[in-house]
Amino acid sequence: MRLRRAVLGGDTAGIVAAILGDGLDPAARVGIYRHHAFATLGDALQGTFPVVCRLVDKRFFAYAAHEYLREHPPHSRCLVEYGADFADFLARFTPCQELPYLAGVAHFEWALNIAATVREVTPLEAGKLAAIPPEEAAYVAFRLQPSLSYLASPWPIDAIWQANQQDEMPAVDLTRGGISLQIRRVGEAVAWQRLDPGTFAFRTALADGLVLAAAMLAATLKDPAFDLAESLRQVFAEGLAVASRISPKQETPQ
Amino acid sequence: MPQLRPITSGREGIGLRSRHVSEIAATRPEIGFLEVHAENYMAETPAMDRLLELRRDYPVSVHGVALPLGSAEELERGHLARFKALIDRVEPVLVSEHLAWSAIGGAYLNDLLPLPYTEESLDLFCRHVEEAQEKLGRRSLIENPSSYLRYRHSPIPEPEFMTAVARRTGCGILCDVNNVYVSASNFGFDPLAYLEALPIPAIGEIHLAGHHAAEGVDVLVDHHGSRVAEPVWGLYVAALRRFGAVSTLIEWDTNLPALEILLDEARHAEELAHVHRYVDTAWPANAAPPSRPRR
Repeated sequence: MRLRRAVLGGDTAGIVAAILGDGLDPAARVGIYRHHAFATLGDALQGTFPVVCRLVDKRFFAYAAHEYLREHPPHSRCLVEYGADFADFLARFTPCQELPYLAGVAHFEWALNIAATVREVTPLEAGKLAAIPPEEAAYVAFRLQPSLSYLASPWPIDAIWQANQQDEMPAVDLTRGGISLQIRRVGEAVAWQRLDPGTFAFRTALADGLVLAAAMLAATLKDPAFDLAESLRQVFAEGLAVASRISPKQETPQ
Repeated sequence: MPQLRPITSGREGIGLRSRHVSEIAATRPEIGFLEVHAENYMAETPAMDRLLELRRDYPVSVHGVALPLGSAEELERGHLARFKALIDRVEPVLVSEHLAWSAIGGAYLNDLLPLPYTEESLDLFCRHVEEAQEKLGRRSLIENPSSYLRYRHSPIPEPEFMTAVARRTGCGILCDVNNVYVSASNFGFDPLAYLEALPIPAIGEIHLAGHHAAEGVDVLVDHHGSRVAEPVWGLYVAALRRFGAVSTLIEWDTNLPALEILLDEARHAEELAHVHRYVDTAWPANAAPPSRPRR
């Protein structure tokens, strides 16, 4: 624990007495390990959030990564799995408040990372749904592809991300309004698409495990013209559902 | 008299980095084996499929960098299970981990932190190695660390500690020659004496890598970011003379160069291994003839 505090927090007071100087300040020796931990974990974050890094520049990113690391050291030993709450951290991190879309871009890059590191599983066939008795259909809940993320933002974060893939950054119209995105793995590639508000409400409700009736209610409240049959057909056509169950109790959207 | 032993898994290997994968797949260079960091292949990325394709043509060695064998806490079962799943899929020729610890209180520091070498830490470390070998269902190699600090209370010399671990657990030793050089230089001990203290039959692999001087302090740091330094090649020859020809890996993780540079380093290691083999087989009259040199 003392070495953890020394490496993570730079608080070497509890540990220096146990370390031989060998011609150097013991704290400087701990500093070599501390430097390595922060440099490599910072590099790992930069690898997962390259556009966030480009938007704020490398020096600021290193500073933000350093603060994040102190608060949220990794738990997984697989570094591609590190950074799940980096976007939330950036949203609270006062020094970058003048880039209001930054946390959104970080959420988007994390969703891309999930899609790149989680394999798709065999989807349910549409026939499976037809086999459910009509009186139970309203209480069906689905499990969706594990690579899926749904993300809504008041900023065009996908366009900002795309613009930052090029050396000469094209202008992005930030006033065009919000977007609702679905991000997933398709084969070996990562793909995303914008969804209309009704479809987005429907799919996020399903992704959260709500039963069909509740997901439909959420979607219809968002978009009175929501077409359940067509939306459900799309869910199966895209191979989004991987398992289903009949919920024992009725669930309604919060 | 050094003991002659066959090269167990072909010739010299290189660390497999994602940036080199397509070039290796396309050009199929002559390499003895490829070594991957276990933690880079635990997620379901397309990289896993690439690795399994290369696995058809190259022996693969799996090098763990994060199993906290030296941590005072219990081994994290979840990580060990993922390690095991990876090994079952890849069926590597070699499996290795470190004499170090890297996590405490649930936080993973991505550092290979040093252990104090005491009877107590030896018991604990051996218990963890035994548990890991049992769960993985196979023998593993344990690598000596590069060190930048020593504890005041650490009465067992590192090579003795390594030897005791190998004897008690049956694990092999991965001798990182660059780490021996770096630690020897940082603490002023004789690197040759270190090699002499390691048990010959336990040595299953050698690592070679670049190091650099830390900024502002008189300390060498193992950074895997440059060519193998000249004195380390010298120490490698000494290691070959003591251990015989052992599968040798060129490690390169930061400032990654063109694949050709890695292959060039591996060829140099191979040349030195050949020279060494002729030197040793020339002496005893009744020794078996040396095998034909490759290329």
